[in-house]
Amino acid sequence: MTNALEMRHIRKYFPSSGVLACDDVNLAVQKGEVHAIVGENGAGKTTLMSILYGLVTPDEGEILVNGTPVRIGHPHDAIQQGIGMVHQHFKLVPSFTIAENIMLGLEPNRVGFIDGATEAENVRQLAESFGLPVDPNARVKDISVGIQQRVEILKILQRNAQILILDEPTAVLTPQEVSELLTVVRSLAQAGRTILFITHKLAEVKAVADNVSIMRRGKSVGTYATHGVSIRETANLMVGRVVTLQVEKTAAKPGAVVLSADHLLVAGTGGIPAVFGASLEVRSGEILGIAGVSGNGQTELVEALVGLRPVDQGTITFLGQDITHNTVRERRGAGVAHIPEDRMIMGLNLKTNLDENVVVTSYQHEPYSKRGFLQLEPIRQLARDIVEKFSVRSARVGEEIRTLSGGNLQKIVLGRELKGDPKLIIANQPTRGLDVGSIEFVHKTLIEERDKGAAVLLVSVELDEILALSDRIAVMFAGKIVAVLDVKDVTEEKLGLLMAGSSLEHAESAAEKAHL
Amino acid sequence: MRLLRRAVDSLSIPLIAIVLGLAASGVFVIIAGAQPIDTYQRLFCEGFGPNPCATFGDLLFTQVETESGVLQTVFSPTYGAGGSRIALVLEQATPLILTALSAAVAFQAGMFSIGMDGQFLMGAITVAFLGYWLPDQIYLLAGVTDPETAPQALLTIMHLIIPAICIAAAMLAGAIYSWIPGYIKIKLNVNELISTIIFNAIAVQLVGWLINFPLRSDLNNIARTRRIDDTAWLVPFNRGIFQDVEWFSGARLGVGFLIALVAALLVWYYLKRTTAGYEQRMTRGSSLFARFGGIPTGRAALRAMIISGALSGLAGAIAILGVERRVIDGFQASGTGFDGVLVAILSKESIIGILLFAPFFAGLNLGATNLQFGNLPRQLGGIIISFIVLFSAMEDFIRARLISLWKRRTLLQRTAPVDKPDGNAV
Repeated sequence: MTNALEMRHIRKYFPSSGVLACDDVNLAVQKGEVHAIVGENGAGKTTLMSILYGLVTPDEGEILVNGTPVRIGHPHDAIQQGIGMVHQHFKLVPSFTIAENIMLGLEPNRVGFIDGATEAENVRQLAESFGLPVDPNARVKDISVGIQQRVEILKILQRNAQILILDEPTAVLTPQEVSELLTVVRSLAQAGRTILFITHKLAEVKAVADNVSIMRRGKSVGTYATHGVSIRETANLMVGRVVTLQVEKTAAKPGAVVLSADHLLVAGTGGIPAVFGASLEVRSGEILGIAGVSGNGQTELVEALVGLRPVDQGTITFLGQDITHNTVRERRGAGVAHIPEDRMIMGLNLKTNLDENVVVTSYQHEPYSKRGFLQLEPIRQLARDIVEKFSVRSARVGEEIRTLSGGNLQKIVLGRELKGDPKLIIANQPTRGLDVGSIEFVHKTLIEERDKGAAVLLVSVELDEILALSDRIAVMFAGKIVAVLDVKDVTEEKLGLLMAGSSLEHAESAAEKAHL
Repeated sequence: MRLLRRAVDSLSIPLIAIVLGLAASGVFVIIAGAQPIDTYQRLFCEGFGPNPCATFGDLLFTQVETESGVLQTVFSPTYGAGGSRIALVLEQATPLILTALSAAVAFQAGMFSIGMDGQFLMGAITVAFLGYWLPDQIYLLAGVTDPETAPQALLTIMHLIIPAICIAAAMLAGAIYSWIPGYIKIKLNVNELISTIIFNAIAVQLVGWLINFPLRSDLNNIARTRRIDDTAWLVPFNRGIFQDVEWFSGARLGVGFLIALVAALLVWYYLKRTTAGYEQRMTRGSSLFARFGGIPTGRAALRAMIISGALSGLAGAIAILGVERRVIDGFQASGTGFDGVLVAILSKESIIGILLFAPFFAGLNLGATNLQFGNLPRQLGGIIISFIVLFSAMEDFIRARLISLWKRRTLLQRTAPVDKPDGNAV
């Protein structure tokens, strides 16, 4: 039987960055299978998929669709060959309806005018035929992320895609949405579509894929039947060494309250309150995890706590001092460290070198500057220390950091923020987009800091991460902290329901029922 | 070695842009009915060349007749008899260096201010007034009725302090004129690009009115202010210390040029080595990053606007105190400030780049002005400069298409023999 898709000896070198992203990569995918592609960051998964979708031209190699060699130089060619892609960041028009988005560019028209009724009807039929019900007339800006993803999938199905590429499709979903998506993926495969499922999360691979191809540093390590390899084996193959997936930690020894926020009201971008009366407490020597679907006010809460966003009402107390209206610098001076959500824009300045990045929080103090003049040697020494202590591979003093991998960039951020033993560490999605090895490192570091007596506030949309690291878990929904639970009392199901807006009582009873 | 590579890297784009700009303007030269190569030879000769000069070669070495009638080969840039244009180019480049530095400082705080023209004019009109008014007051106080008869000691002291006071006042005027758009940007989020354009227009009209009415000195056909007092004058080298050096004879090059060089050095030091410079560069790189680190970004940007304005004001002061000595109607349209913006863009805000490209611009302008005495329009210089800036703004295009094309070809040539045996083995 011929393969639905084959990629042979794919090689891609990026001369500008000097990266050999794909080095003789081979991939064979059968019709009607769910084929997972896993690998660390920078392993070449995204490049390989970009080549398949015509966004990047390979230097060498060939692509065969149903056994016939094809040339894909542009996404148009890919679509023509029945290849469709759902990107990690959705490409939908928020102000358009679902039907308008799906039919964009293919609008049925009557003497030059778009025939809206037919459009909606077509979409309804399409959605029903694939068992993906949507309301064709709802506007994209009003629907949830899970439905938006469904719209993206329908959009490529409408264009008659036989091979669907899903790039990290579960990164933005709640656990319930994830399980729905996995069901959809299975049913599409049963209907004869071929699915390429790119992901970091090995549990999902196990749950949904027939076969898994592993990539490491631009090379294909191999393709395995999913039932034949364990999660641990897959992780080891990805990283090339043995990794510990389980975070090892001892019981917390919580001390005094370090940070307390009382009924915070914080406006989001655009002036509408994003944090709506949230209260929380973090003690020294404990990790408080904030669980929630992204976009429920976590970012605004963090920004308010560190001083980047004004607080409209409520108070923030840090070590007994009211810091509600203090500047970022004052808070940092008092011992607040911040590992931001977006390390590329907020955590680091990619336009400059390592030295100037590590000194941004301390440049105004001696020995890094004297009477307004920067002291280069102490700054270099600081950079050297951080590179050494956090083993930031391939970062060198005085050189640009643009080309470093996500994991190494995050190590620079960690090194800078944890210098000087902060009393409070606010980490917002500290492992987002990192590979298994780097995640392990970040987790270990946060636990070490906890054991040294720091209070850690961890915000994450990854439930696994919250469950693995936290001592207590606060669930955030619609700008409020809806429940604070001890980690011993929670289950993934219960958290999932709370994150979706159920009350605590309801979540508890539902979780019990599920167990009966 | 690394320094060299960096220099080649940062200069390659402007140089490619210059070549492409000249090629594209060639179309207009042909439309104007001339030979491009010929015209460019004349343009560069008029701009940078010695006398006589006819070909590109003459720009480097030329043959001149000595007094005894023998032909002798000389190195053109150092040849001064009959007026080497290099001194003149540097004279014209002086305010350009300062306005380009001014633009670079603003840009490197993430403020896209193009108010250099307005700040330049405010500085110029300030010294044009103070340059005669201030000495007048001192003569009045000292009871001197005719400056000719003033005691030498008094004149010497005045000559030391009055230019300094004038320059300081001009820098203050420029700084204030730049602070306002900066302040309304920080406080009210008014786009600085638009407000500085408007402020330029206001300055042009204000200066026009001032020289036509309150500061008009005489009933000369073209309105002008009174000439500044000799004690306020930054005496050019050819009238002062280097009277006998032929090389300086054709230009009013003077102390102002040295001030511009010192300013360039100070600006470099400020940006790279002071905490204030660090703050503004980080603000520009990513203002979120700067705020995240605790940098007061608004203050950093405002400080940059003030320094930027002071530099443009300084440019205006030097143009008047060292060269023009009065503001004549029409000076408002000189465009020195805007040319500075272009120089800053072309040199990608690098200080060394500014020191190289400001004279280049000045020379092109000079060449174009002189070309109009031939049969070619003066606007040709403007067209060439515009094309060069346009192409240098297409940096990404040049980098992505031209340079990568070239690199890929060399890479393929280099890797081709390696690939072959591989292919045979399969």
